[in-house]
Amino acid sequence: MADVDFIQLVDRFYPALYRFALSLARSEADACDLTQQTFYVWATKGQALRDAARAKSWLFTTLYREFLRGRRRGERMTALDTVAESEVEQASLAPEAVLSMDVETVVAALKDVDEAFRAPLTLFYLEELSYQEIADVLEIPAGTVMSRLSRGKAQLRAKLTAAKTNTDGGTIVKFPEFKEKAGHG
Amino acid sequence: MDNEEAKFILRAYRPSGVDAGEAAFCASLEQAKRDPALGAWFEREQAHDRAMTEKMRGVAVPAGLRDAILAGGKMSARSTRVWWSQPRWMALAASVMLLIGLAVSWPRLAATRAEKRFGEFAMNDMLHVPSHAAHGPGMGQLAALVSDPQRKLGGGLPIDFEALRANGCRTLSFAGRDVLEVCFTRDGGDYHVYVMKKTGDMRAVREGPLFAREDGATSAVWSDDAHVYALVGSRGAESLRALL
Repeated sequence: MADVDFIQLVDRFYPALYRFALSLARSEADACDLTQQTFYVWATKGQALRDAARAKSWLFTTLYREFLRGRRRGERMTALDTVAESEVEQASLAPEAVLSMDVETVVAALKDVDEAFRAPLTLFYLEELSYQEIADVLEIPAGTVMSRLSRGKAQLRAKLTAAKTNTDGGTIVKFPEFKEKAGHG
Repeated sequence: MDNEEAKFILRAYRPSGVDAGEAAFCASLEQAKRDPALGAWFEREQAHDRAMTEKMRGVAVPAGLRDAILAGGKMSARSTRVWWSQPRWMALAASVMLLIGLAVSWPRLAATRAEKRFGEFAMNDMLHVPSHAAHGPGMGQLAALVSDPQRKLGGGLPIDFEALRANGCRTLSFAGRDVLEVCFTRDGGDYHVYVMKKTGDMRAVREGPLFAREDGATSAVWSDDAHVYALVGSRGAESLRALL
């Protein structure tokens, strides 16, 4: 691949890849490493990919594989098992409330979502990939992507609601008033 | 499809509308248009998704990441070899060349071994077999030829192999092949010429002589188009060379 093609590819996808990496990794530095590693793999192996239209999926798939490669598989399974059914219920949070939050708070809430949901959710919000392409990247069935998006959104809204509550200083609960009883005589 | 099923599907519908043509969403989108409650839910869901998308796009990318990626790409491009110069292909090419080399040189190597063995065979016969006198009537002309002091043997001899064998020339067997022996004298020395047809691994025997020495005997093996010869004597290589 010529240099100019590589630069165009980087410019087109590196912000979205970094944001996806940031939702998966523990720190910005790890996210940077993952993004760099993804393009490094592309530079060494991706040139064999003749279909340029598939470059986007290839890059996201590679980043996710690199992420999984760098961590223990058992953690992922645990995350899947610890999702409570109650979290599927959609929390009531106004879209305006999300817009009013700063980016750091939203990202922190997203990172707090179980990884099994976080990866498809981030890819969905980045809007680069369809649900079918997300399924290909994560190597899970399309129906599973829909299910994880549904539950992930619920979990995220619950986290955002909690974050909003904390930011606002918490809900003030009025202490119950008691009527004074008459003296005992 | 009830509304819960429609919601399940519509949660995967991207807020930018890029999935509008996707067949999987058509029925749910139609249902959201027809059902006010579902429509209101979908509108709110999309607003949520748009808000999240906006926040995600607001995540700042660290300064220097782009440059680091491009630098890494350049480094990998430098270190990436073209396919044919990668170690496994180089190894394969070397193996192929080795095989070709062996295939080309194998007949020559085999012939060299056969030449040596033929020379050893001839020397052993001269040294250890007491009688070499079984010469038939047809041998006179050939014996006279090889005994001629002016005659050089190196260019080969006018031998009718089958006729000589039929006329009672001494016949031995070497590696399954018939070998004829002609004895003669030159300058007071006794010599023996062993002749066999040039077939099989003997085809590549060189025309120039290959000398060998064993227990006081010296041999010179060479060939012409039809035959392989082993000349054996006890006066050393120089005496043989003088005859060739």
